[in-house]
Amino acid sequence: MILSIAWKNIWRNNKRSMVVILAVTLGIIAGVLLVGIMEGWIRQRLDSAIYNEVSHIQIHNADYIKNEEINLTVGDLDATTLCIASLEDLKGWVKRARIIAMATTPWANTGVMIYGVDPEKEKHITEIYKKIVPGGGRYLDMQSPGDILISDKTAEILKLKQYIITDSTMESLRGQNVPESLLVKLGTLKDKRFRSPKDFKEAVKKEFSKKEIDRYGRQITEKALDYRIRNKIQISISDRDGNPIQGIFRVCGIYKTTNTGFDQTAVFVTAGGLQKLYGGDEILTHEIAILLENIDDVNKVKDKLSGISGDNTVDTWKELAPDAAMMNDFMILYYIIFIGIIMLALAFGIINTMLMAILERTKELGMLMAIGMNRRRIFAMIMFETIFLTIVGAAAGMLSGWGITKILGNTGIHFTGWGEGMEAIGYAARVYPVVTVEFFIFTVIMVIATAIVSSIWPARKALKLNPVEALRTV
Amino acid sequence: MKVLELTHVNKIYNSTEVKVHAVNEVTLDFMEAEFTCIVGPSGSGKTTLLNLIGGLDMPTSGEIVIGGTNLSKLKSSQLIDFRLNNIGFVFQSYNLIPVLTSLENVEFILLLQKKTKAERQQRAIELLTQVGLGDKLHKRPGELSGGEQQRVAVARALASRPRFILADEPTANLDTKSTENLLEIMEKLNHEESMTFIFSTHDARVVNKAHRVITIEDGGVKSDLVQQPH
Repeated sequence: MILSIAWKNIWRNNKRSMVVILAVTLGIIAGVLLVGIMEGWIRQRLDSAIYNEVSHIQIHNADYIKNEEINLTVGDLDATTLCIASLEDLKGWVKRARIIAMATTPWANTGVMIYGVDPEKEKHITEIYKKIVPGGGRYLDMQSPGDILISDKTAEILKLKQYIITDSTMESLRGQNVPESLLVKLGTLKDKRFRSPKDFKEAVKKEFSKKEIDRYGRQITEKALDYRIRNKIQISISDRDGNPIQGIFRVCGIYKTTNTGFDQTAVFVTAGGLQKLYGGDEILTHEIAILLENIDDVNKVKDKLSGISGDNTVDTWKELAPDAAMMNDFMILYYIIFIGIIMLALAFGIINTMLMAILERTKELGMLMAIGMNRRRIFAMIMFETIFLTIVGAAAGMLSGWGITKILGNTGIHFTGWGEGMEAIGYAARVYPVVTVEFFIFTVIMVIATAIVSSIWPARKALKLNPVEALRTV
Repeated sequence: MKVLELTHVNKIYNSTEVKVHAVNEVTLDFMEAEFTCIVGPSGSGKTTLLNLIGGLDMPTSGEIVIGGTNLSKLKSSQLIDFRLNNIGFVFQSYNLIPVLTSLENVEFILLLQKKTKAERQQRAIELLTQVGLGDKLHKRPGELSGGEQQRVAVARALASRPRFILADEPTANLDTKSTENLLEIMEKLNHEESMTFIFSTHDARVVNKAHRVITIEDGGVKSDLVQQPH
């Protein structure tokens, strides 16, 4: 009955209770949403780091890490690969050549890291093949050793990404219901070639109003984008004797990950194609990337490999992508800090409401003490009232937060305007919020703890009442 | 049989600059099944005396013994349990729990006594029927008249089978009809349950029904008369 009374007591003043419940609900929704966004970002960064960049474990020649020279290949390759092949619970592993190079087009040049890979095997380890942009050609294949796969960013730097309004662009935009009046204005830019997004945007700005750009700008930019697929790129490297050598590759495809930093440097060719450039009979292996079934096994596998790897270094994803690892570890701290701040703010609201409730019910509490309700029961009653008040709001908040996060988890949130900056530091511009069961359990614990702590002050105040004085109040 | 003994009881309030001698050398005995009325002008010490008898307040000196237990010797927590099992309270302004029904209000005190649900319900229904509220078991206090609320309060006070009932001006907020009705019920319970009733009042109708009338003035007993109720 104490529980029943406590529950009924919170509905004595519906409006006041609803204000507190609403505050708790909104606080929890904000918490779930913000933590969901943060968790989504970190997971996406982690997935990107592992499935596009560094895998779970990498093996290099110890000296290669300090000085990325062509001759510093993985030592004891046969023994090392034999050991890797004997490991259980691997999703796969690949060998790569990895050489510092200069990429040049007739219009620009840039320093890159060129990877010589087995395209088919690589598909089991990295997801770069899934990151080919629309209209961006295709992934590498073994039958075309002269092909090179570059990123959208590298294409932009090398001026292989252009914007051009053609008849087919106009037709395509017409098909997307872009108003004819806008197409007429767009006609003034027809057949002009813009080699940077900035130049194109400037030109569009001159022709269209802000409202038109907001409404149709993205569509126009997407349709006008044209990658110069099959264009030649000259790759310059130092051969095994330190002499500069050059080779020509043709762009077969353009990829884009959420990490501009990685995209800006990584270009891919077939292992055979790269071998032709650096010469010799042997395909060089500078890097072995391993993908495990379970990320939690990294240290165990690292220990096994370290034992047989001789002068090689074995690094886990945490060492290879410390930013992602740090953010992943920081997430728990973020939960505590963020939810802690929300709970602290809510606690004051809850305490205030409960103190008001105690003040209003002084006489009744005096009566309860007079007729024989002991302090433990009075304390419990006040505590349950506080817990119910908080839990109702928290349940509503978590349910709504979960629903909103679920919807946004499917649609994603595009941080237009900050996208470039975020991708520059490795975080996706479109984030898919995620909330985990662990987070919900953690939040429930925090809510209950907040309710209990918040109840102490009002409950103690109730216990300090003198029944005779309390009964005298009006 | 004596249910309550007060010996040289004094209560002095020091909280103001002037000492207030609210109860002054009161020595009284109360017997089982007495229907006693404490009268006196406002500020004479009636309520303070009832608070002392009910263990809600402690005397500055003197002894209050209920069924062999000296209240001054009990710790605060023991006193709460003692009140629960030995004293029934009826307050001037009813003081029912507004969120509970009549039945739940009466059951509540039995819950504090850790009675089973079946025991609680049986006793509560029996008492509410006795006070004429058998058809209003599931009404909340807000849905009852003042007289009906006070009858629920009487049923609640009796529910725990206390040694005696203390009622502080129980008819002060009631109209004539409700007062008569309540007094009839209390008299009936006094006979049927051999329950001791001690109440403070200004109300002549209540005084007339009492078997014993104690008059208090300036905290002291001015007279203690046994009378034939009329």
